[in-house]
Amino acid sequence: MYRYDEFDHKIVTDRVNQFRGQVNRRISGALSEDAFKPLRLMNGVYLQLHAYMLRVAIPYGTVSSKQMRMLAHIARKYDRGYGHFTTRQNIQYNWPALDRIPDLLEELASVEMHAIQTSGNCIRNVTADQYAGAIADEIEDPRIISEIIRQWSTFHPEFSYLPRKFKIAVTGHENDRAAIKLHDIGIVIVKNDKGETGYEVHVGGGQGRSPFIAKKLTDFVPAKKLLAYLEAVMRVYNMLGRRDNSYKARIKILVHETGETEMRRLVEEEFAKIDASQMLSLPEAELDRISAYFAPPNYENLPAQSDAFEAAKEGNPEFSHWVKTNLVPHKTPGYGIVNISLKPIGGIPGDATDAQMDVIADLAERYALDEIRVTHEQNLVLPHVKLDEAKEVYDILCAHDLATPNIGLISDSIACPGLDYCNLANARSIPLAQEISTHFADLDKQYDIGELKIKISGCINACGHHHVGHIGILGVDKKGTEFYQISLGGSADEKASLGDITGQAFTEDKVVDAVDTIVETYLNLRQPEERFLDTYRRVGMDPFKEQLYAD
Amino acid sequence: MPTKTHLIANGAVVDDTWVFIDDETPLGDTPAIISLDRLKAEADTLRSRNAKLGVVIRTNTQGKTKLGEDVRELSPYLDMLTTIAIDFPVYRNGRGYSDARILREELGFKGELRAIGEVLFDQWSFMARCGFNTFEIDSSIPVKAFNEALNELSEAYQPAVDNQRGVLWRRHGL
Amino acid sequence: MAQHSSKGARFQAVTANRLKDGEVVYFKGNGWIENFAEAEIADGQEAAEALLTRASPDNMEAFILDPYLFEVSESDNGFTPVSVRENIRAKGPTVRTDLGKQAEAG
Repeated sequence: MYRYDEFDHKIVTDRVNQFRGQVNRRISGALSEDAFKPLRLMNGVYLQLHAYMLRVAIPYGTVSSKQMRMLAHIARKYDRGYGHFTTRQNIQYNWPALDRIPDLLEELASVEMHAIQTSGNCIRNVTADQYAGAIADEIEDPRIISEIIRQWSTFHPEFSYLPRKFKIAVTGHENDRAAIKLHDIGIVIVKNDKGETGYEVHVGGGQGRSPFIAKKLTDFVPAKKLLAYLEAVMRVYNMLGRRDNSYKARIKILVHETGETEMRRLVEEEFAKIDASQMLSLPEAELDRISAYFAPPNYENLPAQSDAFEAAKEGNPEFSHWVKTNLVPHKTPGYGIVNISLKPIGGIPGDATDAQMDVIADLAERYALDEIRVTHEQNLVLPHVKLDEAKEVYDILCAHDLATPNIGLISDSIACPGLDYCNLANARSIPLAQEISTHFADLDKQYDIGELKIKISGCINACGHHHVGHIGILGVDKKGTEFYQISLGGSADEKASLGDITGQAFTEDKVVDAVDTIVETYLNLRQPEERFLDTYRRVGMDPFKEQLYAD
Repeated sequence: MPTKTHLIANGAVVDDTWVFIDDETPLGDTPAIISLDRLKAEADTLRSRNAKLGVVIRTNTQGKTKLGEDVRELSPYLDMLTTIAIDFPVYRNGRGYSDARILREELGFKGELRAIGEVLFDQWSFMARCGFNTFEIDSSIPVKAFNEALNELSEAYQPAVDNQRGVLWRRHGL
Repeated sequence: MAQHSSKGARFQAVTANRLKDGEVVYFKGNGWIENFAEAEIADGQEAAEALLTRASPDNMEAFILDPYLFEVSESDNGFTPVSVRENIRAKGPTVRTDLGKQAEAG
């Protein structure tokens, strides 16, 4: 994991002090709300329905046990005993008081964490594959370049007042778990035909009111030149991005209106100038320095098969189920990647109590080489667990309601906070996730249905990624009453697609029935080995529509 | 937008000898800041004028295609210009930061680069890093506060127009 | 922000969030209170506008954020906010009934 040096410490500490000054000026009345708002947003502080909300950055979703303990401590001391892990691999606290946030940030800084640029029209927290460094067949650990991007983008003087927010995601694996094609910039680590590592850059993806899949602007940028390339994209966007309408201000609209070819030309032109100046050529020594922090940890030499693990599966069908859904093969023999579901049946997706966070921190320290990951699907990961010890880990997770064996299944839905918390929401999201999860509680049924990703947003901003849900649900407001629009066939992976709307929206009490109808239609139509998405892509919308709107 | 401003240069309040002149008013022989349109239209006569000349670049927040004036259009006239003022119509519109860097780094402009419009406390240090060297700010703000604000963030990761090389480089003595 | 009241609304109240901690507050008399049940209710559009004006003095921003009118309706047990949103603001998250005003009310 990356560790701060004196520069990183200074930068984060300066920021805490600066924000303390800004909060003081706001509370004393020297600063108007209008002027304060962008400043608090750039420090992750929103005003929501019931209170302020603080979004803490978890760069590329990686946290240590010490950091996780701090997140638990903050939940206890400054909030109401829980936190909410988000689709941006961050954590949100729903109740902190404004005048205590500077102290909170100071405590966070003590464990090398911050809330910098977790909101506002700037470059946001960089996200990456949650299995980075642990999964087989990775070209390069995406956290190396993500950390470099984090540093380059932090307090970037030119790009802190962009037309709109800007999100960058990185994957180093051909299976995209970071939804890179739905980001303003998506980076895929690739090798060219000379065997050199470099970066393929996709630009202009995004969700919200007008969803777009990103366009590939270049096949290969070498590591040394990546910052120059990114700066070129950012400058073109800052100069030409629309500022007349916030719904049209994201780079996806610029790419769409400018056209892919012209956009590529503009970026190349800018890139040529920046590259020629050599100003942003990344020093080899810095790349090496940061890479060293992500060198593989000290794995033990273990046989690929663990007798203890096999015996435990044999003797315990529940453990065996959990292994099937929640444990992913590790690149190192004798290890596994453990997914911790934050989606207990009927629970709030992504929420964890302070006690659960402490348990997870302890598990990471004892069993997982001190690392934890946050996934964009609102679950957690212990990336390096010995198969020999998987059952012990499982037992402890079970004791804390953290072992629901449902990763990738219908009850593992993503949901934004929705109208229960969010000031922008039109409708609630969490209750729907809870009802769907309760309706399909039966595990045998869930296994029979197989992989099915439900994603729920409480408004058009799409924080719940509904456009890319296999089943997507979008809450809309009709004269103060909640309605829900359903879409089918979205996907956020390397074969990204946007869902198609089924038709007229459903009232809250009809949504679960509608999902049930969709699932039954799939089960009737599927061919052997077909996942929901495969069936949908084969048969299209008509049969689903027919069943949904039969009366 | 502040109603009364003072001009800060090199960490001190300075006398502003420049006057913004609209397109209809004839130019005298005192330092004048004019619009980009007028500069382009009257460039030939302006070249023989015997007083300092400046131009203001306006950013438009409205309209789909009209983003604002393009600083690159100044390139044939830079030798005539002592001052370029860049307008921030609202602090949220950060196009001027890129304008400034383009002027300094791509076009090599060495003169006064002035930030005008909504130029607020928490933007000054970013503006300075992008190459602005004078600032029209609310005259109720003491220069001491301005200078403190410039130094609130003492380190920067990335290079820009100021002297800092960027921590990513400085770590290695570059 | 969404529209919280309609032109035809008869009964309205004024709400805002408190600067210091973001708490939902309602206007009553000359000040702000935390409990919706005690909020001052305006009858008719004119009274509503007068209420909002009273709730938004020049120095308001020093402690209160963005006061606005929202529609309420009269029932047997007093007034209730009309929209789902204002009901949630008045009580707390529907998915965590142990939190927010609903919890404090006991």
